[in-house]
This record gives sequence, structure tokens and C-alpha cells, in this order.
Amino acid sequence: MAQTAQDDPALRERFERDVLPLLPSLYGAALRLTRNPADAEDLVQETYLRAYRGFAGFQEGTNLKAWLYRILTNSFINTYRKKQREPQTVEGPDDADEWYLFDRLGGQSVEGSAEDEVLDRIPDEAVKRALESLPENFRIPVLLADVEGFSYKEIAEIMDTPIGTVMSRLHRGRKALERALWQTAEERGLVDG
Amino acid sequence: MAKCGPECEETLREIERFLDHEVDEVIRARVERHLSGCNECTDKATFRVHLKTLIQAKCTEHEIPDGLTDRLRTLLATAETGPDHG
Repeated sequence: MAQTAQDDPALRERFERDVLPLLPSLYGAALRLTRNPADAEDLVQETYLRAYRGFAGFQEGTNLKAWLYRILTNSFINTYRKKQREPQTVEGPDDADEWYLFDRLGGQSVEGSAEDEVLDRIPDEAVKRALESLPENFRIPVLLADVEGFSYKEIAEIMDTPIGTVMSRLHRGRKALERALWQTAEERGLVDG
Repeated sequence: MAKCGPECEETLREIERFLDHEVDEVIRARVERHLSGCNECTDKATFRVHLKTLIQAKCTEHEIPDGLTDRLRTLLATAETGPDHG
């Protein structure tokens, strides 16, 4: 019978030392995925439970954070995809949209730095809502790359998806996020519509 | 204002992966060389860097719910360890 963290004190100690400190980061990701604190806490608990049970199979020295995010992502997809019926596509950007936000914000002022200021003035909560508005196929890669800082290869492993698919979803997800941010800025009167 | 040339197009095609640190040495050097002499592409690259930094800063949670760590510890302490399939 395989050793589990529960009946191996050294393993349990290592779990507490290495895995518990990642809680804020995992909770933040869970919040962006589930979009509400109650579900985020449930998802984090499920993730920790699964990680705890599988920890003996985790090879020390390999990528612990990616391993945990893989469990988090799988748990989310298994539990919540059924619950949250939503379209899994975003409008494909055409080439003219490549610099969507840059082009629009650039038109707001003759001074070069104005773009940055508009973005800075969008409240944190509104940026979170914009990210959460993306369908999960696009939200997950953007979250993993731009918030959590994972590489394409790590995201491919976490999502169990070919790297080319990761790159194209990341690209399209970022475009969709730019559109959502522009809409938010317009709604808040930060830019002239 | 100068019209974007083929070198700009090539740079902008690589810029996303370049900024994600996902290009090889050869492409990285080529993009850097172009950026050092092209204000328009540099503006776009700078914008994307700023956007990425901002998304990370604004979407990162700094607080977890009160007592979550304790609830997790309790959960793990009482967890039934099922057979390990991993």
C-alpha cells in the first residue's frame, strides 16, 4: 500500500512546509475561476485534499506549483463546467484588431503616456471582473500566464493541452480581455467612447 | 510618420512571444535590435508590458478569508486517505 501524507509524518511536514504557503496564490486563482468566494473556498479545499492524498506521488524537486495548479484546474473543470453553462468561444480577432486597446487608447490624447494612465485608473475590481468575463478556455491560459507567470510549456501541462493550442487561446484570450477592459473604461467614463 | 516596413511586421508578429520570454536567442536578438531603432514598435511593446504588469498587479489577491488556513488544516487532519492511484 502506498504511503500517504496522513500516515507519514515527514511527508505531512513537507506538505505543510511547501504547499500551505501557496494558499494565497491558489485561492486567488480559484476566485478568478469560480467568480465567488464560497465556491473558491470549496475549490481550494478540494484541491488541497486531492494534493494531500496524492502528495506521496509528487516527486520532490519537480514543479510543485504547476502540479498544484494542475489539480486546481482539473478540479475546477470537473466540478464547475457542469454548473456554469457558458459559451466557450470568443470572437476571433481579425488582423485589424491586433492592437485593439493600444490603437484606441492612443487616440485619447496627443501625449504618449495617456494610455497608461487610463489603464491605471481602472479599479482593481473592474479588471478582475473583465478577466472573469472570459470563457474559461481563454480565461485559464490568461490567468496562468499573466497573473501566475507560468510558461507556455507549464500551461500546456497544467491544462493537458498542446502548446500550440495554449498559444492560440492565450492570444485570443488577451485580445478578448483588451476588449473587455476598453468596455469597462468606456462605461466608467475614463475614455471618450 | 513612417509607414511600418517588413521589419516592423516581423517584429510585431513575434512580439507577444518575445514579451512572454518564449523566443529563442536568435529571434530575441533580432527583435531587440529592431526595437532599439524603432520608436513605434517600442511604444507598442512598452504598452503590452505595462498592460501585462497591470493585469498581474490588479488581479492578484493579497488576502485569504479569515480562518481558511485553519479550516484546511482541520480538513487535512481528518481526511480519510483513500487508496493512492497516483
